[in-house]
Amino acid sequence: MKKRITFTQALFLLPLLILLGIFAVYPIVTSAVYSLFDYRTNDQTVAGLYTSNKFNAPLFVEDCGYITWYLGDDVTLLEGEDKQKAEQIIAEIDEIAAPYKEVNEVVSIDGDISQNVVDKMTSYQEELKAIYTKNSDKQFYNGYEKLELLFNEVYGCKISSNFTGLSAYVQVLKDTRFGDSLKTTLIFTFISVFFEFILGLGLALIMNKAMKGIGAVRTISLIPWAIPTAVSALMWSYMYDGSSGIIAKIFADIGLISAPEAMLLTGSGAMTAAILADVWKTTPYMALLLLAGLQTIDTGLYESASIDGAGPITTFFKITLPLLKPSILVALLFRTLDAFRVYDLIAVLTGGAQGTETLSIYAYKLMIGQSNYGYGSVVVLAMAICVGIIAFIFVKVLGAELLSDD
Amino acid sequence: MKKIMAVLLAIMMVLTLGACGSNNESAPQEEAAPTEKIVIKFAAQGDSTPATQQSIDDFNASQDKYEVVWEDMSNDSGAMKDALKTSLSAGSSDYDVISMDVCWAGEFAAAGYITPIDEMLQAAGLKISDFNAGSMAAATYNAKTYALPFFPDLGVLFFRKDIVSEEDAAKLVAGDYTWADLQAMAETYKGQGDTTEGYLFQAKQGECLVCNAAEFTAGWTDIEGGLVAFKALTDSEGTPADILNYAEGETEKFMTGAAVFARNWPYMKGCETTLTDDQIGYAPLPGGSCVGGWLLGINKNSANPEGAFEFLKYLATEGQVVQATVGTHLPGYNAALENADVLGANAMLTDAGFQKALATTVSRPVSSAYGEASDAIQINVHAYLAGDAELADTVAAVEAALAK
Repeated sequence: MKKRITFTQALFLLPLLILLGIFAVYPIVTSAVYSLFDYRTNDQTVAGLYTSNKFNAPLFVEDCGYITWYLGDDVTLLEGEDKQKAEQIIAEIDEIAAPYKEVNEVVSIDGDISQNVVDKMTSYQEELKAIYTKNSDKQFYNGYEKLELLFNEVYGCKISSNFTGLSAYVQVLKDTRFGDSLKTTLIFTFISVFFEFILGLGLALIMNKAMKGIGAVRTISLIPWAIPTAVSALMWSYMYDGSSGIIAKIFADIGLISAPEAMLLTGSGAMTAAILADVWKTTPYMALLLLAGLQTIDTGLYESASIDGAGPITTFFKITLPLLKPSILVALLFRTLDAFRVYDLIAVLTGGAQGTETLSIYAYKLMIGQSNYGYGSVVVLAMAICVGIIAFIFVKVLGAELLSDD
Repeated sequence: MKKIMAVLLAIMMVLTLGACGSNNESAPQEEAAPTEKIVIKFAAQGDSTPATQQSIDDFNASQDKYEVVWEDMSNDSGAMKDALKTSLSAGSSDYDVISMDVCWAGEFAAAGYITPIDEMLQAAGLKISDFNAGSMAAATYNAKTYALPFFPDLGVLFFRKDIVSEEDAAKLVAGDYTWADLQAMAETYKGQGDTTEGYLFQAKQGECLVCNAAEFTAGWTDIEGGLVAFKALTDSEGTPADILNYAEGETEKFMTGAAVFARNWPYMKGCETTLTDDQIGYAPLPGGSCVGGWLLGINKNSANPEGAFEFLKYLATEGQVVQATVGTHLPGYNAALENADVLGANAMLTDAGFQKALATTVSRPVSSAYGEASDAIQINVHAYLAGDAELADTVAAVEAALAK
């Protein structure tokens, strides 16, 4: 039964709702907004969320200053008609730039005005190109190449809307790098969670036995999980190292890999390495979750089963497994979602090389490495959707009662 | 109501007290000085030598208008870049003078984070040609100069003088050899003088791979030929089987006598070694030496661009002597290369092979989307070297990356 809450009761919930708003809703909404724009902070033409025509006045003034400066140097080498023409262009560019001298930011502007400015500058560039070509025998101080670069930058001062709507979402579907990293992430997730589950269940069954020294067994088995992932990943990377790594050497000696260096250098080797390190690290966590489930099973059931003459295997499949199902599903759900967003382990082991680039690594490289917040947000949201699908499958299809209303 | 007012008052008092406290903390020198100095904040990584601190102290003592304060940045370059980008993209004036890795300059310039300094250079009577050419190429974006060298760095070929024949050594020092020659030499000399490897260089997927690719392709002028030579060397018997996982750290093995040839940055000279100075020779690389190192630029939103430039100018010219004598850096100011103290402090600078390397430098792509370009080059070239991609596709991918 769901009860209606009173106004005063709701008031007590307010701080929680505010916190949820700030720390959960706001970032997601921001990401969603970013994903609708071609937003890259390392390119001044798209360094903001622009929905209307803008004009980068400070850069325009700076570039005009450079053009007239460089041109002013070169003009001294010209003669007659060309000199007059070039000097006139300098004066006219100065005039165009003058109104923007006091503007210190990107401003909203009528699209026609900025287009007019661009058109004028284009015609100056063409005239200058003709002058420089005509006088190509002269040794200019700066030359046309420099001016061309500056003119091209000037055209970038006219900023139009960078609202792209949902087109980035279409792009992500065609992005092979996204597809590859999604595949990598899924392979990593399913293989590592599978082994973690099998080994974790075994470990949990052992830890559930009431025997002498079980406390020590439980404590020791938790050690891998207690080591920070970045540290354990570094440790594994030393053991996988092609020239001095012990595991790489053992695997090569028993013929699992062709040579020690193949461990981190081939696609399958690097993936195996990452999965092995992840299984080693998170099996104890899986075991812990399953152990909690095992301990809720009534020991009386086992007694009755043994009186009825059931062997250990029948008991396991008829009693333990069915009663453990809710715990198993919750444990699998947690671990699947966790493994799906793996970042630290891969970042330390391979940095995403050899086809081990997962979605988190790709998103990080896009956003932080390339300052591409727009497309990076799309990848992050696509990841969130995948996580949602996985959770849906667990809850609806497999019937995991993670959040019970009762 | 009264209670709320009291609480608000209390909060305000605490805040103002806090503000006063922090003011007092940050300005002990200001009180001592007769006139108030303008504070210039310099963002730079920690320096294992006292050189940077001494340059700052020297500058502070040399005039009474500005007071330079060192803002210590993370020694992890990636973390430092992220911190700078966060601050700069928010339009903050937290830092006035910014030190940056050569490959950040194009991105920072395109993003409008740093200010062009041509006018200030002209007013100060300095010319672009006064500084290290490779560094200045990296500091130029769209025909505008944005930075001066803090200290340049460059790839150089280390070789074992005691193993390589005099004839070959002369060829190396003069730069009169090709990648194929180097490969042949690596195969020939491997194993001599207790070495286990011929040639060590960096082919691990990472920034070092981009530097090596820049050298193999002679500054991206011969991409196809360069990549073929690159692959031939990685497949060669003269290089380690796991060369595709070699970065600078693995290359340091050269210093313990493990290899005949090695491509690395000059810092390797300072690594722990079993070799004597006479055993190590330096040579330029066939395609030119990739420039690394750091540049100095000015925050576009700096409150004191004049003061920032004063310090930048000092550090990039006179300060270079301190950087080279007290510190272990190469000077980026050409005049400092003739300074007797500098030459005395660094034996490399008088070495013919090293001088040749200094004179033939190539740059990594200067791009507004450097991260993206570098990423694409790393992935594609590494896949080609590992035998997972075709040459034509790789050349096309690298060309596309350069066009970004």
